[in-house]
Amino acid sequence: MPQDEQNEASADALGPGYRATERDVRRWVFDRQRRWIAGAMVFTALHQTAEAAVPVMVGAVVDHAIDGGGPADLLRWIALLALLFLALSTAMRLAGRCNRHASQDAAHELRVAAVTRILDPRGFAAQAGSSGTLLSTATADALRIGLGNRAWAIGAGAAAALAFGATALLLTSVQLGLVVLVGLVPLLAATRLLAAPLTARSSAEQAEVARATGTAADLVRGLRVVKGLGAEEAALRRYRVASGSSLAATVRAARWEAGYQGLTLLLNGCFLTVVAWSGARLAVDGSISVGEFVASVGLAQFLVGPSTRFGMAMGLRAKARGSAARMAALLAEPYAVAGGPRTAAGRPDGALVLAGLGAGPLRHLDLTVRPGTTVGVVTPDPAVAAALLDVLALRRPAERGQVELDGVPLAELSLAEARRVLLVADHEADLFDLTVAENVRGPLDAPADPALVARAMSAADADQVLSVLPDGGRSRIGERGRILSGGQRQRVALARALAADPAVLVLHEPTTAVDAATEADIADGLRAMRADRTTLLVTTSPILLQTCDRVVFLDDGVPTATGTHRELTIDQPSYRTAVMA
Amino acid sequence: MTQVSDERLERTAPAPPPELLPTATAAQTRAEVLARVLRRPWQSAAALLLVVAGVLAGLVVPRALGHLVDVVVAGGHQTSAVTGPVVLIGAACLAQALFAGWGAALVARRGEEVLAGLRESALGSALNTGLARLERSGSGDLVARVSGDVTVLGEAVRTLVPQLIGALLEIGLTLVALLLLDWRLALAALTAVPLQVYAVRWLRRRSGPVRRQERIAQGEQAQQILESVNGAHTVRAFGLGPRQLAEVERRSAAARDLALRSTHIGTRFFGKLNGAELTGLTGLLAVGFVLVRADAIAVGTASAAALYFLRLFDPINGLLSTVDEVQSASAAADRVVGLALLPRSGAPEPTAPRRPGSAAGPRKAAAVELHGVGHAYLPGHRVLHGVDLSLAPGERVAVVGTTGAGKSTLARLVAGVHPPSAGRILIDGRPVEELTDGRIRRMVALVNQETHVFAGTLAEDLRLARPEADDEELRAALGTVDAWDWAAALPQGLATEVGQGGTRLTPIQAQQLALARLVLADPPVAVLDEATAEAGSAGSRALEAAAERALAGRTSLVVAHRLTQAVRADRILVLEDGRLVEQGDHEQLVAAGGRYARLWAAWSGARD
Repeated sequence: MPQDEQNEASADALGPGYRATERDVRRWVFDRQRRWIAGAMVFTALHQTAEAAVPVMVGAVVDHAIDGGGPADLLRWIALLALLFLALSTAMRLAGRCNRHASQDAAHELRVAAVTRILDPRGFAAQAGSSGTLLSTATADALRIGLGNRAWAIGAGAAAALAFGATALLLTSVQLGLVVLVGLVPLLAATRLLAAPLTARSSAEQAEVARATGTAADLVRGLRVVKGLGAEEAALRRYRVASGSSLAATVRAARWEAGYQGLTLLLNGCFLTVVAWSGARLAVDGSISVGEFVASVGLAQFLVGPSTRFGMAMGLRAKARGSAARMAALLAEPYAVAGGPRTAAGRPDGALVLAGLGAGPLRHLDLTVRPGTTVGVVTPDPAVAAALLDVLALRRPAERGQVELDGVPLAELSLAEARRVLLVADHEADLFDLTVAENVRGPLDAPADPALVARAMSAADADQVLSVLPDGGRSRIGERGRILSGGQRQRVALARALAADPAVLVLHEPTTAVDAATEADIADGLRAMRADRTTLLVTTSPILLQTCDRVVFLDDGVPTATGTHRELTIDQPSYRTAVMA
Repeated sequence: MTQVSDERLERTAPAPPPELLPTATAAQTRAEVLARVLRRPWQSAAALLLVVAGVLAGLVVPRALGHLVDVVVAGGHQTSAVTGPVVLIGAACLAQALFAGWGAALVARRGEEVLAGLRESALGSALNTGLARLERSGSGDLVARVSGDVTVLGEAVRTLVPQLIGALLEIGLTLVALLLLDWRLALAALTAVPLQVYAVRWLRRRSGPVRRQERIAQGEQAQQILESVNGAHTVRAFGLGPRQLAEVERRSAAARDLALRSTHIGTRFFGKLNGAELTGLTGLLAVGFVLVRADAIAVGTASAAALYFLRLFDPINGLLSTVDEVQSASAAADRVVGLALLPRSGAPEPTAPRRPGSAAGPRKAAAVELHGVGHAYLPGHRVLHGVDLSLAPGERVAVVGTTGAGKSTLARLVAGVHPPSAGRILIDGRPVEELTDGRIRRMVALVNQETHVFAGTLAEDLRLARPEADDEELRAALGTVDAWDWAAALPQGLATEVGQGGTRLTPIQAQQLALARLVLADPPVAVLDEATAEAGSAGSRALEAAAERALAGRTSLVVAHRLTQAVRADRILVLEDGRLVEQGDHEQLVAAGGRYARLWAAWSGARD
């Protein structure tokens, strides 16, 4: 399929690539951070080895200095101890630096790759997940995959410490060393075995906690509704139930965890007791020295640490895997449309032809819009309007027929060119946290002309919005235009569409949140602004429809009548019902 | 790119921050938490005692190991001489495991109970926030406190508190043990303390600001990504992709750089702690050397002391590195406890059973009177002037006017959201300000543009309005607003999960649900503000019909955008610049040829 070929071709822009698997994502991340990861492994191994050497060194100080040595011995051994600490600290800092970069740089690159996919002009063929899910993949999952890079260093450090400890023990006493090493195996096996049900418990507990938190957030988000009804008591009672079952679940989980903690302590204790017992017997019969005994006991305690760190590294990897799977799924989401090769230059006239167009509930639409005219499209079924807009906005491909712009099929144009010529302004238009002017001006690389912006603002009746802002034109309008009212947002969004001044503009219900008098003003402004341009108005507003040169009425997904608004109102009873209240 | 954004920072002012909710002082938070901990003194004491016992048992181990060393050094023993100390080690480990495990379970339980109490009272306070306050502050901060801050606090209770208690006791008791072993050795070990104090001070100075910046940067990054996600259609249509992506990249890089800085500070901090460890260890070994040479202590004592000291590394480093988390957890606690400081808009009243048999029909409609009512949100900025008005019981009144004419303000005043700046509002002859918030709400229900669908089943959503309603009543209410057909067609009918995470309802269905709640709440007076405006023409008509039935028998005030709502009202009020300029029914006002007639002409111009 040609669409797939194009998808493959643009893989490099997407980091791990289109159609990446979970493994590809992790391999990409590893490859990009190879040098940092290698550095982190080396320095962590050094650090852990030095940590392991501390009890050995303390044992040596006891042996060679405290137990019968002179001041010179003490100084020499303390100097060695200081050197060891210097090495330990330096290796730790270098390892930290490598680890930081290995994880944070990777997380950043993944965030950018995820957002690049989300904003890709080709869109998504199907709803790729709620905005919360997408956000969490682009941030939390990206970070978790990045942190997964640390598993290498942790594993390397644990292996080095184990190797060092085991060697030191075996050099001290083969017998004691074997006791310790053989004892470690069942200890770790038992610890991991016990931890398995705990993980399941804790995820069940987390689900309960999240549910209670979600209930609280949901009730507060709907607080105006709760208060409008006086339902505070009922809402609080509902939260208490959720909070109570969250409490019960966490207490249950905590009991398990405490039991696990106790058992781990007990197992470690048994291990230590056995090591102390065999070590002391060896020391009493003179096979090992006092210092070696002290060092062995210290090493036995120390070795439990690196062994459990293996488990930690595996946990990080497992988390990174799950996140990488979600990231790969996002990157591999199929595109909605492919876009064509033609980047038609020159100034198009804006002749729009819909030839036998069909997509979902939109069954069959033939429509020719002559350059410079305004045509209204009325349909009582919102799904038909949505299908038409999706096809025109290149959010879904046409199933039958095609759209032609100045004689060129829309599908043959590149996406950027198609959208430059034919702009669809949705009913639910999103504003950004910028000033009103910056919102209206559009893209940074091709901002609308200031004079055009001013005309568009006044045509959409949006200049009045500035007067209500605390700093007028210099105020940012908050996320999604939070500080504006619904009607104000709608007018700013309309001004943005008009300022873009495309050859063909498709507007969907642009005036639902303004009053009738303002709507009439806007209809006049629209007419003046689009006088020599092609405009398609998908609306049921009679005020807007009466300004159209021609109106097409779609019933059940096919056009059933065409004429001026006045003609259709008189001749077509079903049109009359759809438009008139 | 950077240049462009710097330029923008200069030119633009941020959106006005919403008014912040109160935050408790550290002392208030401490008092509140302590009071809750002491609510069950015996359980709390038992938890603490068990943890102490566990740590004490653990401390026996190095002591017994030191004893073993002495046995070895003394020489000439049979190998059986080691049995006694070894058995002691085993017993101590057993006791430690038992006490520590049990103690941890009790600490967790008390902690969780205290946490549950805190979060429930926080939500109670949030729910009782006055509507006027809510309008000023927005719900963002409230949501953040009952979810984000409560989560941070929960994490702290689950991990930080046990860790802190464990580490503090371990350190304290190990020092005591060291002291009992030999005070001179203990003193030598304490040379590490000044360095540790310095390291912590250094960390707090460096890390606090960076951590704060990091959190802000992460928030900005998340917001930027969310904006891109939510506005993806618009971004694609207008070719804003490069701009959005550059902005995301910039903020993501900023978050990364701050994360790098803050972890860098972390490793430098641990480097300083290494220095402290070396100092203490050196001091201890040197003093041990001197004391052993002077025959003041045995080699075993010095060994035991060194082992004690090595044991301290982990708890001390663990404790010191949680400084940041402790700070952010206590800040979260201040915000959660702070909610209780909100002035209550009216005590939640005892859940008096609602009137019986209300399914049969609404309670007797009430009369509403306004005498010279005016309002100003900001001093000197009057948005409503001298409105005199009287609504007869059961009368349906529509309010029309251009944007900014004061329609919504009038609706809010009648609904009791704000007390009027001037004049009086009487409901059934009683001044609004004499009614507590809860009582106003039971008299007057307000349905506005907000169409929140609560997460949970459809039945649960509806029962918020009347908890005791049975399924039959829910069905009837949905039927009244024409919603039963689609509700019955849902996968599990009334038991279908809706709202966030459930089946998505269309905006029209969500509005019908709001009207069904109104039917169930069954107030004598209802205020509808733009409840049908956003649905588009076809949907609006259906909703208007539903609203009409939901309002039947109630005194109602309806803010109308679509004049069709006005046509069928008993009376129409026309507001302009905050003044009541015309009133009468549709025919009268059209005949009068005033402002309403002009609005009607604009609206219906194409309609005949």
